[in-house]
Amino acid sequence: MKILVCIKQVPDMESRFKPAADGLWFDETDLAWRMNEYDEYAVEQAVQLKEQLGKEPELTVLSIGSDRVVEAIKKALAMGADRATHIQDAAAQQKDPWQIASIITAYAKDKDFDLIFTGMQSQDRGSAQVGVLVAELLGIASATTVVDFSFADGVVSVKRELEGGIKGLVSLQTPALVTCQLGLNVPRYPTLPNIMKAKKKEIEAIAVDSLLSEQAIAPTAQVYAPVRKGGGIVLEGDVGDMVQNLLGILKEKTAVVV
Amino acid sequence: MKVLLVCEYREGKLLDTSYELVAFADTLGAEKVAVLVGDEAAVPQLDAPVYLADVALCGEYNPAVHKAAVLAAVEKEQPDYIVFSHSSYGWDLAPRVAVALKVGQVTEVVGIVDGDFEVGCCNAKMRRKVKPTTARAVLTLQAGAFAAVAPQAAPRVERLEVAIDGQGLTFVGYEAAEVKVVDLTKAEVIVTAGRGVGKKDNISLIADLAKAMGGELGASRPVVDAEWVEHSHQVGTTGQSVSPKLYVACGVSGAIQHLAGMKKSDFVVAINKDKDAPIGEMADVLVVADVLQFVPVLTAQLQG
Amino acid sequence: MNFELSQDHKVLQDAVRDFVNNEIKPIAMQIDEDHAIPDELVRKMAEMGFLGSYLPEEYGGAGLDMLSYAIVIEEVSKACGSSGVLISAHTSLACGPIDTFGSHEQKQKWLTPLNTGEKIGCILLTEPDAGSDAGAVTTSYRKEGDEYVVNGSKIFITNGGYLGTGVLFATSDKSLRHKGISAFIVDLQSPGISILKNENKMGIRGTYTTAFALDDVRIPAENLLGEEGQGFKIAMDTLNGGRVGIAAQALGIAEGAFERSLDYSKERKQFGKAISELQAIQFKLADMYSRIETSKLMTYKAAWMKDAKLEYSMESALCKMLASEAATYVTKEAIQIHGGYGFICDYEVERMYRDAKITEIYEGTNEVQRVVISKQLLR
Ligand SMILES: Cc1cc2nc3c(=O)[nH]c(=O)nc-3n(C[C@H](O)[C@H](O)[C@H](O)COP(=O)(O)OP(=O)(O)OC[C@H]3O[C@@H](n4cnc5c(N)ncnc54)[C@H](O)[C@@H]3O)c2cc1C
Ligand SMILES: Cc1cc2nc3c(=O)[nH]c(=O)nc-3n(C[C@H](O)[C@H](O)[C@H](O)COP(=O)(O)OP(=O)(O)OC[C@H]3O[C@@H](n4cnc5c(N)ncnc54)[C@H](O)[C@@H]3O)c2cc1C
Repeated sequence: MKILVCIKQVPDMESRFKPAADGLWFDETDLAWRMNEYDEYAVEQAVQLKEQLGKEPELTVLSIGSDRVVEAIKKALAMGADRATHIQDAAAQQKDPWQIASIITAYAKDKDFDLIFTGMQSQDRGSAQVGVLVAELLGIASATTVVDFSFADGVVSVKRELEGGIKGLVSLQTPALVTCQLGLNVPRYPTLPNIMKAKKKEIEAIAVDSLLSEQAIAPTAQVYAPVRKGGGIVLEGDVGDMVQNLLGILKEKTAVVV
Repeated sequence: MKVLLVCEYREGKLLDTSYELVAFADTLGAEKVAVLVGDEAAVPQLDAPVYLADVALCGEYNPAVHKAAVLAAVEKEQPDYIVFSHSSYGWDLAPRVAVALKVGQVTEVVGIVDGDFEVGCCNAKMRRKVKPTTARAVLTLQAGAFAAVAPQAAPRVERLEVAIDGQGLTFVGYEAAEVKVVDLTKAEVIVTAGRGVGKKDNISLIADLAKAMGGELGASRPVVDAEWVEHSHQVGTTGQSVSPKLYVACGVSGAIQHLAGMKKSDFVVAINKDKDAPIGEMADVLVVADVLQFVPVLTAQLQG
Repeated sequence: MNFELSQDHKVLQDAVRDFVNNEIKPIAMQIDEDHAIPDELVRKMAEMGFLGSYLPEEYGGAGLDMLSYAIVIEEVSKACGSSGVLISAHTSLACGPIDTFGSHEQKQKWLTPLNTGEKIGCILLTEPDAGSDAGAVTTSYRKEGDEYVVNGSKIFITNGGYLGTGVLFATSDKSLRHKGISAFIVDLQSPGISILKNENKMGIRGTYTTAFALDDVRIPAENLLGEEGQGFKIAMDTLNGGRVGIAAQALGIAEGAFERSLDYSKERKQFGKAISELQAIQFKLADMYSRIETSKLMTYKAAWMKDAKLEYSMESALCKMLASEAATYVTKEAIQIHGGYGFICDYEVERMYRDAKITEIYEGTNEVQRVVISKQLLR
């Protein structure tokens, strides 16, 4: 069995963002980077599946981006992936989901992956497209927003999270792709011995040009900070003063605090 | 300009969010057509053609078949935009349609700015304008970004025949939401704990404030996922939608899926140490402070 | 020359940081209040491999390098100085000498359970009358058949209360001073070893600091570490490595206090503006930061030198001295920046201030470090 997990490196969302000089993305200087949170669930699920099936499946992790994304790749290797493919692209942030999916498809198309895991979306771009696009381009079944996963006898059974706490139960014949939602599992920490083992695992590097032939079809025209609606009152400073202020406001504006 | 509205149907009913799609088309001043995999009794009420594929044959969730239905409607109507709600149905189906047509998709549109589609990015801390280059485009709309219109006239229904082939996917059924231990929908005051409270032990601080305010404890999703608080307290798209008189968000960043569940609150107070947190946009009062320091003092004051 | 961490070190740093933020930071205050690190946390740290970071994979270690070890202790100590020194004393003071001076059999027997955290390690060197002057050890041993019989007492033993595995120093004849000292690996559950006391302390209150009485403790001859009379050399070599760990601990404590101070200075408003807009506060931040950065450079350099198998006793003394003095300075200023709130336990900088002080004392007081450094300069 062959498993592929697609991961992305994104900035820590608690960072301060400002537009880049060209206005087409955010400024990447001084940001802390980590694995996209949704992708951590994807890696964990793939590793759990590998553990369930014994040592037999081969688990490849793939990421597109600059040399910096090798950090995310190494984390995935330390979590338990067997090998990695780094598609080198210093300008990945300018690619639209269609291009990213085309690159992954070009890589995966003759490799017969039985299962592909992706995050349901990335935290920075939030397009929620890449997983499904890859599945459609490869002509395999896919399910999105998965919060429960099991596998037996070539059949994947998942629960999709719908609105209002309802879940949709779906089964898929392999080959198949699932996009992982928050809470699917509890992603493990890479342990020190596994970080050491990961150093010895292969990271294949492929130049993006050899895989990409598509133009962007939904390019970013501009990135900017939202205009603050204003109106709201902002309280800052001494805790005691703020509490008094807030209570004053609540008494005036709401009927609940008297 | 013509817009194809992909309406949504679940457990025998048309979802109200379908009328947000109508509002979007009206904003553009576009001609509308709709498509629904559903039944005759549940077609959207609007003065436009509605293509209807029979849910009894197609199934409520069957992406390959639903894709075929949408593509059949596109074939007949040649719309400029194909619009979905950004929901578990929409974000699942939209890319399938986009790739089949090889057109650009814009995800979770929040508005139209100078003719371009505006979407959020970086957890709503930034905005992005996206400009599809293809002749037509697929869009998904953020829940609530376009206020639903009221149902209008009876539509002109046209039946669609589609081939039934799930292509490797079988829909097994629904699993009902867990029984709610607390019903937040009736609460007048909700005090919500977000990930910013730091650890399970600190939930009691938030619960104490809720009690001092005579309200219920709410929670954001990560707090529920980490099992600090039981699921029926979760507010948001995949939790409960609430409309209290007062909503106090403690250490909640204000992700759209959370806002979707609490934006009908009359008065919102947010306590967050990050002045730029998106919750600030929704809040009537933003208290820039560490929840662990602020909340106990507030609780003590309220307890007199 | 390159001052960037390698990607492997960054991955490690991130992994440790995530662990610390989720598992240690939330309970750091409780560890101080309870005077105990929960066993559950010790187990989790062991599972993470924190207790055998730079030791060989062959003996259950992670096989990483000294720099990785320093990063682990630094990150852990940002949140909790007690947990930082638990790791440091265990790894460099117990695993370290067994790895450097032990035989294959000794390593198999003792190092493996230490590296996996099954046993917690400690070093038993200090005595009531032998502190800075480690050559003045009076705990005695004599050979009887296949055994050494040890009598005496040891004090201030970090991790002692776990009764795991110790590296014990004793003398065959105290008139021989340094030359009479030998090192032994000892199972602290052996008959004759009793805890006199676990000390109550100013800082790093989560760790055990144990006083032991040793009465006719019988140690199998095979537990002799290195050769007879080599003990003092083993102690000095061990402390060289240990000082990098203590420097990393001090660095972490300083960084933890600095992060809080920086945030606080931006939040706290007086006279209508954030106190970070006052030059008095800005200068404090600059001074704090400069001391942190210099100690970090020296700590990483000492670790790098050990990894490169270079002579690093000078650098290990330098980094321990610089980082510990940075820590006491930075934590003191951190309280000042917090004003009255800094004096209140909830703000945690007062704990860091208390935790910082010991780093100027143990594993050679800073006066002793200055002796080491100046001796080398004037050699
Ligand atoms: C399909 C889908 C459905 C979802 N459904 C839901 C849902 O129903 N409900 C929901 O809540 N989420 C939902 N989410 C998740 C959502 O996207 C966010 O991840 C989530 O709401 C974030 O929760 P949070 O604000 O508690 O945590 P974070 O985003 O991590 O924010 C924590 C906040 O706390 C602040 N903070 C940290 N420490 C302190 C402190 N000491 N004092 C004060 N402030 C502090 C930080 O500045 C930050 O703003 C869904 C996501 C998806 C993709
Ligand atoms: C919390 C804690 C944990 C410890 N953990 C361990 C442990 O795990 N194992 C262990 O064996 N020991 C441990 N120790 C002991 C520690 O290493 C010693 O306390 C330290 O080496 C100093 O020895 P002393 O306390 O006897 O001070 P003294 O040696 O009596 O020093 C008193 C003062 O005299 C100064 N001084 C002494 N000699 C000189 C000199 N030659 N030149 C200049 N100044 C000098 C010192 O710098 C100091 O200022 C620990 C101590 C503490 C408090």
